[in-house]
Amino acid sequence: MAQTTTPVAPPVAKPAAAPPARSPLRRFLHAREASTFLALVVLFALGTLIAPGFVGTGNFLTVGQQIAQIGIMAVGVTFVIINAEIDLSVGSIYGLGAVVCGLLMTSDVAWPLAALGGIAAGAAAGLLNGLMTVGFGIPSFIVTLGTLSVYRGVTLLLSGGAPISLSAKDPAVAEFNLLGQGKLFGVVPMQLVLFALVAVVGTIVLSRSRYGFNTYAVGGSAEAARLCGIDTGRVKVAAFTLSGTLAGLAGVLGLSFLSYVQGVTGTGMELTAISAVIIGGAALFGGSGTMLGTVIGVAFIGVLQNILNLRGISSFWQTVATGAVIILAVAADTWLRRRSGRR
Amino acid sequence: MTSPATIAAPPTAAVEVTGLSRHFGVVRALQDVTLSVPAGSLTAVMGENGAGKSTLMKILAGLDTPTTGTVRVAGEEVRRFDPATLLSRHRVALVPQELALAQDRTVAENIMLGAEPGSRPFPHRRRMDERAAELLDRLGLRVDPRRTVRHLDAAAQQLVVVARSLAREARVVILDEPTSILSPAESDRLFEVIRSLQADGVTLLYVSHRMPEVFALSQHIHVLRDGRHVADWPTARVSPDEVVSAMVGRELAAEFARHDTVAPAATATPRLRMRAVTGAGFTGVDLDVAPGEVLGVAGLPDSGRVELLRGVFGADPVHGGELRLDGEPFAARTPRDAIRARVAYLPGERRQQGILPTMSVADNVNVLTLGRRQRLGLLRRGALRRDADTRARELTVKTSGTAQGITQLSGGNQQKALLARWLSIEPRLMLLDEPTRGVDVGAKAEIYRLFRRLTSDGVSIVVSSSDLPELLTVSDRIAVMAAGRLVGVLPAEQATEEKVMALATGAHTMKENA
Repeated sequence: MAQTTTPVAPPVAKPAAAPPARSPLRRFLHAREASTFLALVVLFALGTLIAPGFVGTGNFLTVGQQIAQIGIMAVGVTFVIINAEIDLSVGSIYGLGAVVCGLLMTSDVAWPLAALGGIAAGAAAGLLNGLMTVGFGIPSFIVTLGTLSVYRGVTLLLSGGAPISLSAKDPAVAEFNLLGQGKLFGVVPMQLVLFALVAVVGTIVLSRSRYGFNTYAVGGSAEAARLCGIDTGRVKVAAFTLSGTLAGLAGVLGLSFLSYVQGVTGTGMELTAISAVIIGGAALFGGSGTMLGTVIGVAFIGVLQNILNLRGISSFWQTVATGAVIILAVAADTWLRRRSGRR
Repeated sequence: MTSPATIAAPPTAAVEVTGLSRHFGVVRALQDVTLSVPAGSLTAVMGENGAGKSTLMKILAGLDTPTTGTVRVAGEEVRRFDPATLLSRHRVALVPQELALAQDRTVAENIMLGAEPGSRPFPHRRRMDERAAELLDRLGLRVDPRRTVRHLDAAAQQLVVVARSLAREARVVILDEPTSILSPAESDRLFEVIRSLQADGVTLLYVSHRMPEVFALSQHIHVLRDGRHVADWPTARVSPDEVVSAMVGRELAAEFARHDTVAPAATATPRLRMRAVTGAGFTGVDLDVAPGEVLGVAGLPDSGRVELLRGVFGADPVHGGELRLDGEPFAARTPRDAIRARVAYLPGERRQQGILPTMSVADNVNVLTLGRRQRLGLLRRGALRRDADTRARELTVKTSGTAQGITQLSGGNQQKALLARWLSIEPRLMLLDEPTRGVDVGAKAEIYRLFRRLTSDGVSIVVSSSDLPELLTVSDRIAVMAAGRLVGVLPAEQATEEKVMALATGAHTMKENA
């Protein structure tokens, strides 16, 4: 370049060009959920092609039934992850809720109270997770890694190591079993209805309530949120409590579905629930993610397992596949966002 | 411009950028930028926030990839844009604004990272320390290379990053706003280091908003605006005014003239009255702020001025003393209390403490007034969007719509959005820490104009800043702090940079080398 320089100094600042209006399609493609949704569509197409008996209301409702419990847990975990925290204990809380409910049932407590007892045990466990995380100021990864073990131990102690079976001959048990085995209008599994209900309420709370707003604020930057007058501790404790409550509810549904629970019931479910949330696009750094994404993530895992089941592939391979999908989902999302320059 | 014929063409260009563009979706961060940096020179790159300086520097350091265009370093074209290639092959090093250091590793480990003597898996620790000590010595920094970086102040940490680039034998060192985290004395020390590097033949690229230092250090000035290269000159042939008008594309006339509102009535009840206020980092502060006054707070970064603001706001605890707001006892134990009393606080660390980084401009602006826009426990999104649009327009926040993510805005526009946030509570007292840090000239002028408008409405503003000329411009009075104590209050018409600095530094010249 020549050293003889003449400054170009147009006297008028150029006004920033108005951004082109975005079509609904473009807006959809830019939404965080888009990549997960497209992946789900691809998976559906694949299922249609390779899995006999995949297409059909009956099979889809079965999938709905299978994902309901994980889905209900994932709704709670979504709140925790958007808060930039993690809850590793939901699998243990699931077991705790189921065992507490089962013990109350076998002690002839009225079934609605027994169910509420299981849910309350989950809420208490979640509250404790939150209070310890905020109170001690230590990472929730550590707290819930600890309570993963503590709650599991408590569950084993409560059950005395023996399985709890509910006899369907008992009319109270028969009523209770409608929660997990009943079908709305004789078609739609009650569990799926409950999941839908939880997901809708979760969506409204997350995207339309002040609490949901605060969740994104705290997860994005806790210090900035605090300086805006948001009680960050309360927001986090509430998220853990919600997560525990929903895990307890899922446990109660699990008991109702199988009429049977053991001290080890629910082991490993936390990883599936967390996977669903991550596949759904929530970042572990916090501050981002949507309930719709989580629901798509849950459906994705459910459909994947269903296809593998229909193809008669062993559940060991299903475990491998779920793990691989998590990595692929996050890698694809990162790649897409880097390409479009979003952060 | 005078005749350019007297300047001899330099033998080689250290860095040559040709037709460089970088697009993020529809945003054009850089458009067809062509410039050349003579070997051994110090070349300044100036521009408003959002002009594309940071993007250009990131590309040169391999942290970003251009959409089109080429970069040549010492004649060789850069084919892979990643930091390792730029550093090892082309020997271009970046000293970023936000220093990326391993806080719990030693100074030597940080400096020698990637250039460890001895075998890679088992570096020779003693030789590493010696080599680090040599490099530190060359930079005139006297610290033990075995100390952990966490214990160093910002200035020393910055020199550690400079030393790291020397360890990798960088031929081109990019300094991005290096003085934004430094006190004036620390800046002077950095300038000496920069001059000695240049004397050793290192080419420097210098990004800054600050005219005096650019004019003192550079040989060439390039200006970017809206992603385009709009002007360049040899420094000796241009005036600061010309540079400013190229940056903003318009003349900034008497915009920076001294704030001269009606002198606040001495008899009025002070808006804020502090008596013997003590907290972590400040002790026994007695200070009044009048309604409609701009009170500047000057002092070195460790003087306690930031802590004082945070204490008043309730962000950190206040241990003793008395605070009154409009005559009423006022003790904010949390930010929420302060906000309820219509007290605003704008943190200096915009990225860590100011913005809600994952949220939209609208959400960032609305966060304080959600309660007013609720129905049946649900937020009224439409009303909130209109609120945000109005507030953003009032402060001329440049966005492609308030639904845009806040992090996609330039620093100046982020700051304006945050000011819009705080204006939503109709504050009576605003506590502002470094309100124009990392903000371009144009936005600065707008912020100063805003101060004037607010104070004429009776709002009191306390500005803590390390930018002395700015404080002298905008304040009615300047309070000077040193080592946690208030050491003087000067009316603006009597204050000079020298007087303020004498107060700010005089009290503790002894602990300079602590």
